[in-house]
Amino acid sequence: MPSRIPPARYGAVAQAFHWIIAALVVTQFVLANLEVDLPIGAHKLALLARHKSVGMTILMLAVLRLLWRLWNPPPALPVGMKPIERTLARASHYTFYVLLFAMPVTGWMMSSAKNYSVSWFGLFTWPNLIGENEAAFHLLHTTHETLSDVLFAVAVLHILAALKHHFWNKDNVLLRMLPFTKSERS
Amino acid sequence: MMKPSLSVLALAVSSVLLTGAAGVAGAAGGTAAYTADPQQSRLEFAGVQAGAEFKGVFKNFTAAIEFAPDALANARFDVQIDLKSEDTGDKDRDTTIRGADVFDVARWPTAHYVTRTFSKTAAGFTAVGALTLRGVTKDVPIDFRFAQTAAGAKLEGSAKLKRLDFGAGQGDWKSTDEVADAVKINFSLVLKPKT
Repeated sequence: MPSRIPPARYGAVAQAFHWIIAALVVTQFVLANLEVDLPIGAHKLALLARHKSVGMTILMLAVLRLLWRLWNPPPALPVGMKPIERTLARASHYTFYVLLFAMPVTGWMMSSAKNYSVSWFGLFTWPNLIGENEAAFHLLHTTHETLSDVLFAVAVLHILAALKHHFWNKDNVLLRMLPFTKSERS
Repeated sequence: MMKPSLSVLALAVSSVLLTGAAGVAGAAGGTAAYTADPQQSRLEFAGVQAGAEFKGVFKNFTAAIEFAPDALANARFDVQIDLKSEDTGDKDRDTTIRGADVFDVARWPTAHYVTRTFSKTAAGFTAVGALTLRGVTKDVPIDFRFAQTAAGAKLEGSAKLKRLDFGAGQGDWKSTDEVADAVKINFSLVLKPKT
């Protein structure tokens, strides 16, 4: 394990990973909700193609982010937090990391199961993870949707917690992830 | 009633003569007649959708092949493809492809390919033939290799065509933004002597 003293703030790279991935995840929810009820047609395919390209982008960023985090420990949680709050905070962060991999991978497997290879913005094509399999597709589809509900719920918890820390506890938890701010609060 | 023209008569006469002359080989002018073994033969197509290639096969087709490498003038391929037998491994996509906007199998259940001319190339042979799909007939060249085997022959090759040349893409699918115009065809036929 890295033996460095945890910094007071998230570094610029960690912040960039956080906010870029957050924006891409929001994009994914928007694209998925626009696409889900459309009949099969060019418009649905176009939205799905973007959804897949963005999803694979998130997967690649998640790999880099995890590697970055292993060598760059995050700032410690504020000292005043209760054990249950610490557990919740850690659990939600781990869940995010798991979902940042599980969401794209189940999506990628869904495409493979339907024999639709995933292109990355038309630049290159990812290999299929599994062979065509209708039963597997339905199972993966359900899993992908359920995980997206979990992701949504954890994101709501995450945002509420950040706001609670900022406005209720008046600590630096939100500020230390915000670019162009200082963590010290007067 | 149409009167039979001179050329139709000539064709009839010549085909009778040719059939007679074919004798043991059962085909015209030094060629041998084969049919594709449906169990071992494969007719595949590959399209590009949203930037990624997808492949499908035609499960039912017949190919009558009259060919010999040294009798190209009399060679002839006649291929009938059952369009509703296409399979891309996804029900939604297959329904769309068989539907009115693409193949429209209810109106045009089969595609038909008949060669006209053959020539030798460095790698094998090229044939130019007419493909009829969705009521549209257009020339499509095919490149292939031919090898005699103990049980008959093997014919492997490929072709490229543009789906919109045949109107295979109406409505949403007229656009090439999501589904490319270019389609590749690959075939590997195991030929057995025609009986």
